[in-house]
Amino acid sequence: MIEQKVRDSYKVTIGIECHVQLNTKTKLFSGSINDSTTNTVNHQTNHIDFGLPGALPFVNREAITLAIRAGYALNTEAQVFSKFDRKHYFYPDLPMGYQITQFEYPILKGGYVEIISDGQIKRIEITRAHLEADAGKSTHPAGANYSLVDLNRAGAPLLEIVSEPQMHTSAEAKEYCFNLYLAMKFAKVSDVNLFYGNMRFDVNVSVSKTDDLGTRTETKNLNSFRAVEKSIDYEVIRQIEILEKGGQIRQETRGWNDAKQVSFTQRIKENADDYRYMPDPDIPPIIITKDELLSNKKTMPVSAQLWRNKLISLGLELETTNLLLLAEADYDSSPLSLIDQAIDETDKAKTYANWIMNIELPLLERSEEAGENLIISSQTRQNVFEAAYSLKITGQINSTKLTELIGELLISKDKISDILQWAKDSGYLQNSNQDELAVIVKSVIQKNPKVVNDILLGETKAVGFLVGQIMKETKGQANPQIVNQLISQEINLLK
Amino acid sequence: MANTLSRDEILKLAKLSRLILSDKEVDEMQKELSSIIDFVSKLSEAKVDNLEVSDQVTGLESVLREDNPTDYGYDITELMSNVPYSEGDYIKVPKMLSES
Amino acid sequence: MSNWPSIDVLVKQVKSGQVSAKDLVDKAFSFIDKNRHFNVLISELKEQAYARATEIDNKIKNGQDVGRLAGIPFIAKDNFLTFDGYTTAGSNMLRNFKAPYQATSITRLLDEGAILVGKANLDAFAHGASTENSDFMITKNPFNETRVAGGSSGGSAAAVALDMAPFSLGSDTGGSIRTPASFCNVVGIKPSYGLVSRSGVVAMASSLDVIGPLTNNVSDGALILDVMSGPDQLDSTMIEKDKDGYGNFEPLKDLKGVKIGVLNDLMNEGLNDKIKIRTQEVIDSLKKLGAEIVDISIPSIDLSLAVYYIVCPAEVSSNLSRYDGIRYGHHDDSAVDLEDYYLKSRSEGFGAEAKRRIMIGTYVLSSGYYDAYYKKAQQVRTKLINEFKQAFSAVDFLVSPVSPDLPFKIGEKTDDPLKMYLSDVMTVAANLTGIPAISLPVGMIDDLPVGFQIMAPFKADRQLLQVSEIVERQFK
Repeated sequence: MIEQKVRDSYKVTIGIECHVQLNTKTKLFSGSINDSTTNTVNHQTNHIDFGLPGALPFVNREAITLAIRAGYALNTEAQVFSKFDRKHYFYPDLPMGYQITQFEYPILKGGYVEIISDGQIKRIEITRAHLEADAGKSTHPAGANYSLVDLNRAGAPLLEIVSEPQMHTSAEAKEYCFNLYLAMKFAKVSDVNLFYGNMRFDVNVSVSKTDDLGTRTETKNLNSFRAVEKSIDYEVIRQIEILEKGGQIRQETRGWNDAKQVSFTQRIKENADDYRYMPDPDIPPIIITKDELLSNKKTMPVSAQLWRNKLISLGLELETTNLLLLAEADYDSSPLSLIDQAIDETDKAKTYANWIMNIELPLLERSEEAGENLIISSQTRQNVFEAAYSLKITGQINSTKLTELIGELLISKDKISDILQWAKDSGYLQNSNQDELAVIVKSVIQKNPKVVNDILLGETKAVGFLVGQIMKETKGQANPQIVNQLISQEINLLK
Repeated sequence: MANTLSRDEILKLAKLSRLILSDKEVDEMQKELSSIIDFVSKLSEAKVDNLEVSDQVTGLESVLREDNPTDYGYDITELMSNVPYSEGDYIKVPKMLSES
Repeated sequence: MSNWPSIDVLVKQVKSGQVSAKDLVDKAFSFIDKNRHFNVLISELKEQAYARATEIDNKIKNGQDVGRLAGIPFIAKDNFLTFDGYTTAGSNMLRNFKAPYQATSITRLLDEGAILVGKANLDAFAHGASTENSDFMITKNPFNETRVAGGSSGGSAAAVALDMAPFSLGSDTGGSIRTPASFCNVVGIKPSYGLVSRSGVVAMASSLDVIGPLTNNVSDGALILDVMSGPDQLDSTMIEKDKDGYGNFEPLKDLKGVKIGVLNDLMNEGLNDKIKIRTQEVIDSLKKLGAEIVDISIPSIDLSLAVYYIVCPAEVSSNLSRYDGIRYGHHDDSAVDLEDYYLKSRSEGFGAEAKRRIMIGTYVLSSGYYDAYYKKAQQVRTKLINEFKQAFSAVDFLVSPVSPDLPFKIGEKTDDPLKMYLSDVMTVAANLTGIPAISLPVGMIDDLPVGFQIMAPFKADRQLLQVSEIVERQFK
């Protein structure tokens, strides 16, 4: 075990490469379907993806458009000039013996992803992002002396986003991955389904006691934020242990075993490693016009980053903020836009945020678990929340009833035109009628002399019992403030 | 005349290219490649200043395809007809990765 | 003189019922049978050809449209992927390869009623200038069986010369259509880069490869080019076809007002004296037709071969990476693991020349050498392109010999690859710059054919064909 003091004497540096599968209909260079959820092995392929002799790539326009849009999500603008190169290596799931990627002139340069680190906004800069074709998928049946190759994924459009090595803890790295995920999700450039490998992370980690960077290792193909965090924790300790024993870190590619929570050496980088990049003569360069940039810029949805900063400005917790952002990305009805409408009225906006978090989202979750397809439209949400808020601030409803009311209205299939009237008729509103309540208070006091006596003796907590009894009598509709007032009036009379 | 490329370089190139060469082939390659490399090395004298490269000659730009599924006019299963080893619809290859 | 009339005459005869498509296929196979010892065809597609002929003849009987090449037999170099038969690229690697898809150029010809009768021999993967690098056989020169037919489209050129079909297809990366055309006394057209789809043709060097016809005369070649050319959704490096097409130009009466540049840089060392004299005679005949003859110097042209033998192997090494025995192609059953499988499949499937080019290409692309070789070569290529553009601002066409040698003896150059490479000296510049070029037969020297090369500005294919046709008339 490494002592914390020793652990703290090392500076950790992390850079992340993320492969994002763009959600085009067809592949980057061919007209076969780009669908990561398919299970018909080797059927979503063609002579191009298969790397047959004489097959030529043809760039998908939509992939270029999505890269432009991803650029805006990363706070940068696509390069006017970019082009494709060939990266050579032999692997059974790489049909042509080279990957078509962008080496010298990537489609995106610069930009950043904002993360929250120690309560502060921190920018993690993006070095570059380039388009490339994915490889096929290889599986290695346990115990067999062979592997199986499926080329359905071969040629799927990827955007590889390379960060600067500007993260220093596994928590920052996880935050970066999460915010990158949100950025891509909000920009709608990818399905970002982690289960299907729509986003895969390669983390480069080094440790050093000085300002010079140490030798780094790369742990490849992580497909969850948690795996990113855990693999970095693992790697940092592994490297420090080696260095503390006087050893040297070997530059290598590592794989992560999620079940065992350990990483293992996959490939040692040798000097002989040489990808022999060359321009791909089969693909003319990509020129992006000002008009294309402008038309995409104009139609970008509100970014995750902007939403997050708005929510944080309301004083919401980071965790709440992140959950709301995920909800915004998951639901077409844009729950956040209602909060946004109320952004200048902090209490209203926060109240809405609270209702989405604690009422709407659990409802949606439960419905999903039950296999029902509950849809809450933005109009329904707006009508319900506005009416509920006016009931709340006018004190016409208590908080328990309010929660019930909102829940009921959100799932109601009937169109309710006058929510206030309906709430009243359905008995959700508070009874604030002094005279009516006074009668009930008096009767409850009379029925509970022992409790009243306790109160008179100074057991003020016993008041709660009386309130409870009154609530029971009134089916929870009594205004608790008025009830409390009436009780103390009555008790005072007894003093 | 001495060879421009060493035997080690020949072996390294063969490895990168996934080719096995017999000793005789290595000797021949060393001789032949050296003379070819010597021949093309006359380019080193050419003055090119900062000239752009010409990896293509058409001057074409942004030749793009619409994002529509394409019917290539043959049965996809035909692609598997030349595959030497398969299992179900999978292509089968000798084991590639030793996972520890 | 060819035993075949021109293609437009043949098509008229077929459409009018004067001859049947079957008659033409009979004729093609009679010459194929007679000349089998020249080692021209890797595969003969007799059954399929007769089936097609019957289909076409039936259509004609029923008054249906049969296309612009109705019933015309043709032969494709065996690096064109075809549904019929095998596509071997002349290599052991693809000896048993059946193409699941077909080259666009082949489909376009078949759609116009042409009939594929065979696949022609070539240097394996089109690497060579003599067809001696074929893994199947060495094609013999139709005029002298001890000599080569040229390469790499040697089978295609010999097929037309031996009357096996009125036209054939070749591919030209550094002279592979023009050299064999010149050696076999036929017309060979290397169109502008990108004019004919490369989809479905086994790639040699992607930025240099073009597809073109080999024919008995210029107008046949022009017609075939017209059918094959024009954009294809399977190749993104294509240029537009000339708005007037290629098949219907007015024959020129003379060459008045035409400026022709003589590439003096190519007329000196290493050129066979008799070819030099013949070339000068052709130039004199152009002058007599009224052309203005200008001496042109392209200073970088003497570097073009060096540029070519960097760019070409670099692209070759890349394009041949896909041959790993996994999805198709030669594979070795005895391999013990993946690495062994790669090594054995590739080492057994590739011949010496492919290996040589892969190794050179790997060398010039590897880190530490890229800038000095590959990048430098592509910069000199820019210089060459600029110099050609400048030349074409002064003249309409450039002329030179096609090959520095007459068809050489089989085995004469096989010991020394560099010597073989030097035979491409006249032809590679057109590939490096993308411009169209043609090889025209201009008679015989010592009973061996000799060709004459005309080059035109990029995309001026129509003009090139028009001027070639009048030159051709002088030598009929």
